[in-house]
Amino acid sequence: MKALLYAIKNVQRNRRRSLITLAIAAVGTAAVTIGGGFALYTYDSLREQAARDSGHVIVAARGYFDHDEEKPMQYGLSDYPSLRNRLLRDERVRAVLPKVQLSGLISNGDKSAVMIGSGVDPAGEFHVKGPFLKVLEGDVLTPHPEPGSTPEVLLGADLARSMNAHVGSGLTLMATTTEGTLNAIDVTVNGVISVGVPEVDKRLVLVAVATAQSLLLTDKISSLAVHLKDTGQTEAVAAELRDLGATFSVQTWQDQAFFYEAVRALYNRIFGLLGAIIVLIVAFAVFNTIAMAVVERTREIGTLRALGALPMQIVRDFALEGLVIGAAGSILGVALCALASVGFGLLGVQMPPPPGRSVGYPLHINLNAILFLWTVLLVIALSALAAWFASRKAAARPIVEALAHV
Amino acid sequence: MNARSCLADGVALAEAQRAAPAPVIALTEVHKSYGSGAARVAALRGVSLDVRQGELVALQGPSGSGKSTLLNLCGLLSEPDEGRVQLDGADATGWSMRAQTLARREKIGFVFQSFNLVPVMSVFENIEYPLLLSGVDRARRREQVERMLARLGLEQLGLRRPDEISGGQRQRVAIGRALIKRPRLVIADEPTANLDSATATQIIDLMHEAVEQDGASFLIATHDPAMAGRCTRVVCIHDGSLVSDRSGMPAPGAPPRAGASGARP
Repeated sequence: MKALLYAIKNVQRNRRRSLITLAIAAVGTAAVTIGGGFALYTYDSLREQAARDSGHVIVAARGYFDHDEEKPMQYGLSDYPSLRNRLLRDERVRAVLPKVQLSGLISNGDKSAVMIGSGVDPAGEFHVKGPFLKVLEGDVLTPHPEPGSTPEVLLGADLARSMNAHVGSGLTLMATTTEGTLNAIDVTVNGVISVGVPEVDKRLVLVAVATAQSLLLTDKISSLAVHLKDTGQTEAVAAELRDLGATFSVQTWQDQAFFYEAVRALYNRIFGLLGAIIVLIVAFAVFNTIAMAVVERTREIGTLRALGALPMQIVRDFALEGLVIGAAGSILGVALCALASVGFGLLGVQMPPPPGRSVGYPLHINLNAILFLWTVLLVIALSALAAWFASRKAAARPIVEALAHV
Repeated sequence: MNARSCLADGVALAEAQRAAPAPVIALTEVHKSYGSGAARVAALRGVSLDVRQGELVALQGPSGSGKSTLLNLCGLLSEPDEGRVQLDGADATGWSMRAQTLARREKIGFVFQSFNLVPVMSVFENIEYPLLLSGVDRARRREQVERMLARLGLEQLGLRRPDEISGGQRQRVAIGRALIKRPRLVIADEPTANLDSATATQIIDLMHEAVEQDGASFLIATHDPAMAGRCTRVVCIHDGSLVSDRSGMPAPGAPPRAGASGARP
């Protein structure tokens, strides 16, 4: 305890120098925690987005995930209502949404384009997607359309522009049926949407499951998307479903989230490398400060050694000074990170669209206790280590030489 | 002090010392050189010296005569090239650095010309430091330091830092730090050089008191005739050799030495 008290006093000896080092440690820690917090926010967002796009757990007929279909709905799921009802009774489940994948052509009479679409449950799909689906024009699909009315369609923004379609425009969807024949239905544009990825917005068509089934002439669905209340339950629910199903296959959102995994791997490397460099800079700053203090206090080191302090005790005292600087700096850095997080939120700072996307997203820093703890511990440990390294030679220097130091 | 006058005063003490207790520190035929090759300088040439319990030994000689080297060897701060150093009867030559450090911690105190107090520590903490190194518990440390502060007349200054007190007070703190562990030997290098004569007298009084109360021995390098005059023994060194060893004033509370002092063989 006394040693720590002396370390604090020694750090205050050259206040200006200590403050600069402390500031470097604080800024370094803030940079690491801000970068880390941003990466964590990005991971969370991408995870949520991926899970909302596909569902946390995806259930399909056997072979659906492993083979390409030779004709539409070859691996379709037919007996899904009982499974859906069973899943909906599970308290962990938020929604179970059927999906019908389709592809074909879309035409406005003058022009046709390739479409990639989904038949979705209008009552649940848009509620689950929430902020991850941007409606640019009109509205989402009507949950319960009037019988006999023209089926509704949602178009991706770029596809709508290409088709010169607006809300109320009439279009024709054409696709190959499950029997291999060509079928077409007329639809009315109910809205224009964007998922933020131009390549998707150029082809995207969303219709009700019933509309997709009537286009493909089937009563099957492609898959069931199970949305959970807590993403952390994904593996547990998937495992239970795998145990249940001899007739269906199960995947999790992670199995389908290639973009999430790629971004995570990229960010881990970028932020990991930058973090390591920043922490090393902090360690060098502490080393420099302690090395200067060691030179200035050489005679004092000699005195303490003469009085009976072992070199190890001298080094420990300097390491404690490094620890004090590291601890104060890193705690201040964490406070700066929290301040930055609040500040970015208040100012509404936006990040530019990432590659392959058309819309930006808010700059948010996750305040993560584990990230803070590890960063603080790392900065403290490296600061103490740098101080130890800076002082170990001086502590072992001959006492007579140290006492004669001017 | 000049070597000639030391020589003139030299009388052997061997007889008297034969009857005295075992020396606290004993140097036997010690050689010490610095540098190498043509630049090699012999600082000590076959010096033998012992300091017994309760002695206040003044070490005198011109600059470069080997005083500091001799003090360093006696304080186990460096090792001789040849010869033997014994502390309390144990041969300290060749001890490991750790053993030397522990021996200094328990048995040797140091008083430096420039006080060498730790500036961030208070007066109390400076005196307390050797006790901390020895692992003395907090209550005993407090009690011992307070007693030492009272003895030094510094009761009111315990919380002050070294730069907030006078030079004389600083040297008293340094002496307190040296004595707090009741060492067998105190090595003092020009302890009164930076002090006025009145303060120097107080410092010398303190040393006498330490000899009386604690039975400590002092080996003091000094140019100060007043200080040397109040030591029980005055040793002169010149060009790395002891040239005289004479008794001064009697040790406090001790019977006068037998015979006159002089150069030792």
